[in-house]
Amino acid sequence: MSGVRVVGRYSFILNGRPTTVEAPPGYTLLETLRQILHLTGTKDGCSSGDCGACTVLLDGKAVHSCLTLISQVEGREVTTVEGLAGSKVVKSFAESGAVQCGYCTPGFVVAVEALLRANPNPSIEEVKEALRGNLCRCTGYVKILDAVKMAISD
Amino acid sequence: MSEEILRRFREIEETRDFFIVGRKVARVDALDAVLGRPIYTADLVTGRPLYVVAVRSRYPHARIKSLDVSEALQVSSVRAVFTHRDIPGVNDAGSLIPDRPLLAINKVRHIGEAVALVAGEDYEKTVDAADRVLVDYEPLPAVTSPFEAMNPDSPRVQEDRDNVVTHFKIRKGDVADGFRHSHVVLERTYKTQAIDGLPLEVEVAYSFWGEDGVLNCISTMQNPFDVYNKVVSILGVEKSRLRIVQAATGGGFGPKSDETPIDVAAYACLATFKTGRPALAAFTRSEAMTVQCKRHPFTITHRVGVDKSGRLLAWKALLVEDTGAYISKGHLVIGRATFHCTGPYEVPNVWADGYCVLTNNTMAGSTRGFGAPQSHFAAEMMMNELAEELGLTPLEIRWRNMLRVGSLTATGQKIEDPGLELCLMRALEASDYERKYLQYKKMGDGVVRRGIGLALLYHGNTLGPEGDDFATVLVRVERDGSVVLQTGLTEFGTGAITSLVIVAAETLGVPPSSIRLERPDTLAIPNSGPTVASRTTPIGGRAAFDAAVKIRHAIASVASEMLGVPASGLEFRESRIYARDNPGKYLGWKDAVAECYKIGVELKAVGYYIAPPTRWDPETGQGSPYNQYTFGALVAEVEVDTETGVVRVDKMTAAYDVGRAINPLGLLSTYESGSIMGLGYAIMEEIIHRDGYLLNPNLQTYVIPTTAEAPRQIESIIVESPGPMGVFGAKAMGEIPVVLPAASIAGAVANAVGVFIRELPLRPDRVLKALER
Repeated sequence: MSGVRVVGRYSFILNGRPTTVEAPPGYTLLETLRQILHLTGTKDGCSSGDCGACTVLLDGKAVHSCLTLISQVEGREVTTVEGLAGSKVVKSFAESGAVQCGYCTPGFVVAVEALLRANPNPSIEEVKEALRGNLCRCTGYVKILDAVKMAISD
Repeated sequence: MSEEILRRFREIEETRDFFIVGRKVARVDALDAVLGRPIYTADLVTGRPLYVVAVRSRYPHARIKSLDVSEALQVSSVRAVFTHRDIPGVNDAGSLIPDRPLLAINKVRHIGEAVALVAGEDYEKTVDAADRVLVDYEPLPAVTSPFEAMNPDSPRVQEDRDNVVTHFKIRKGDVADGFRHSHVVLERTYKTQAIDGLPLEVEVAYSFWGEDGVLNCISTMQNPFDVYNKVVSILGVEKSRLRIVQAATGGGFGPKSDETPIDVAAYACLATFKTGRPALAAFTRSEAMTVQCKRHPFTITHRVGVDKSGRLLAWKALLVEDTGAYISKGHLVIGRATFHCTGPYEVPNVWADGYCVLTNNTMAGSTRGFGAPQSHFAAEMMMNELAEELGLTPLEIRWRNMLRVGSLTATGQKIEDPGLELCLMRALEASDYERKYLQYKKMGDGVVRRGIGLALLYHGNTLGPEGDDFATVLVRVERDGSVVLQTGLTEFGTGAITSLVIVAAETLGVPPSSIRLERPDTLAIPNSGPTVASRTTPIGGRAAFDAAVKIRHAIASVASEMLGVPASGLEFRESRIYARDNPGKYLGWKDAVAECYKIGVELKAVGYYIAPPTRWDPETGQGSPYNQYTFGALVAEVEVDTETGVVRVDKMTAAYDVGRAINPLGLLSTYESGSIMGLGYAIMEEIIHRDGYLLNPNLQTYVIPTTAEAPRQIESIIVESPGPMGVFGAKAMGEIPVVLPAASIAGAVANAVGVFIRELPLRPDRVLKALER
């Protein structure tokens, strides 16, 4: 009864490693990461591209994984927060008190990583602009901006 | 003997300098969160759970004529559909007052009320099946204005209850006489809007049977014991058969202390209970924004009389609060709002009526601030308008009336500490308020105009009249000397649990990093009271202190023998136990602990604290409803674009009297967090109901502040005027910084453009309309 599901096969580079996954073509990248690959670092805050909690890098650029279909990543390069362990952005977020409830944090870390890859020395206005798609309800953004400044000067 | 030593320890703790309290202590779990480690409920799901999806009302008020689940049951992968008939125990999910069915019985009273649950293997098919539950509604007239609802002829929202749930009163002195002697009397009406607390993680609960026959439920919430007690009653099971564990929680802000965490836990547990299968119940964002308890919309009318010099003589207030279709915490929120309705000022004659009213709007409850943001917005705007009328500055009128040592509040409670004045002085100095106020008031022709606003706060601490103000904290020491702390008080981003660690570390003389936290688990710990009302540091801290003192006493009895020094002559610091009079004589912490294990001295203690009961007369509101008050002053500087109506907040200078700064890093985060959440309330956030329907339960049209709206600077000033109740003099702080921004920003806008805008939020269209006047 539970029926036959159409499943596609998708190959891409995930956190530096070639990965092949079987998933329904309607699955988003977020669903694929969390439910099939069990990479739960990427969070689901709204499923509609409004909060930024699910931000990942696709070919080095920040995208909402909740709005990206798995079929769109075929042959491309995906980096999640798990792939950023040891990075200076991760370190600066942990050290500058930028984490409160922590739910938005992975999304911010990835968004900042994308920004610094494109522009290693952004102005504060450029940082604010780059992060306005990421919502945080806990911090008031002050410590998050401190973390970004720390990562820039590192 | 032992009581005497315990007392002695307490005296020493309270008089000595601190080693750890007040130092900067980093959060131990920060890196896990940064890397997105699996710590939240949805990350912990294993295997294939059943998804539980609610069928929700499409009408704000309707009779359910019939309900047909047969088509939903035909959908492949659906395993069960539940209606109110399937609830084994009591069909009530009201967090405090049992007025709210988990699943509607024959009526729905607000949009989005749950009518049935569908449990299925596949999420999308389960959502589809929920659409196929056929509910035949007969729409009924919806009462959506609280003023309409207060009319005795209005239809009742709840058949067996008057729409006016609570009438809260303050009767102090003789207001008629006060008005007779007044030089100026002003009457103004202020309106505040509903907002959503909006924790970034929505409600989610995951349940499964344990091998021991216990139903386990992992969830995101503030109050595990409230959830536990309700789910036990809904399932009708023995208390020992349910276990609620709080997972890392992605934000609380009040909604996660009210109704919705009970709902998701009950949905998942019911499905597991009935089917035996693990179950996952998770809201969508839109669902969360529909049913999460909002901040209450208020309409507040003040009539206030002052003498020529600006001294307040009489204050009459009418506060009307829309709590939605079920009470949740509305009956308590109106109390706090009414108690604080005159602001932090001394008024000899007060007459206030506060009404908590049911309507067919969605529920409101305990969103951060609990009635105080609404109350302070109205009171502070009133003070600004009075000042303008009398030709005084906002500072001058405040200076003449503010609460000082010996002042009496609206309830006749005597103020015992100078916290308010200290905060005001610090905020004025740091912001250069008075000079800028006069400067901005004079300039006035540019397109973009600057303004500065000042607002003052007092905030009755912790629960006071709102419930039993107790906490428990369990502390134990492992054989290797490491310390474990566990409590039912929860961490959801505020950092308050770090304060408990700091208190325990201070008392035991060990580094905070040697203390491990265990997750709140209803099977492992006694009820710790709710994590609400900014209680964790002041009240929970007392319980942590009590537990640590008991452990210290046990270790001291052994160390005393080993060192040959009386227990009362020992000092615990830097992981050593010193003879106070002979610092060359000491014992390592680990050695002392090892000796305790060897001779069988138990190193486990339950710490407990309950605040003294507060007393007030419900007929007059007179008495002392709170054990202590937090004070504060906030200065906001804004730019108003007179062509677009956009208000931009440039800087906030926040001075709060925290009593004692236990965890300064956490405090700064709390200041910043509250400041920007309050900024959102002031200028942009608004949950809009129209005829009971919700227009914007999504993040495209309900917009909260982002980095783009963040002020250029938030200057945080810590003032310490210790209170009599909280641990080491600490006062409540979690909610406080969210209270004043609206009042302060609206004051700054008035300074910039010369118009008082009496309704929140200060949206561009509202600003432009005000400028036309």
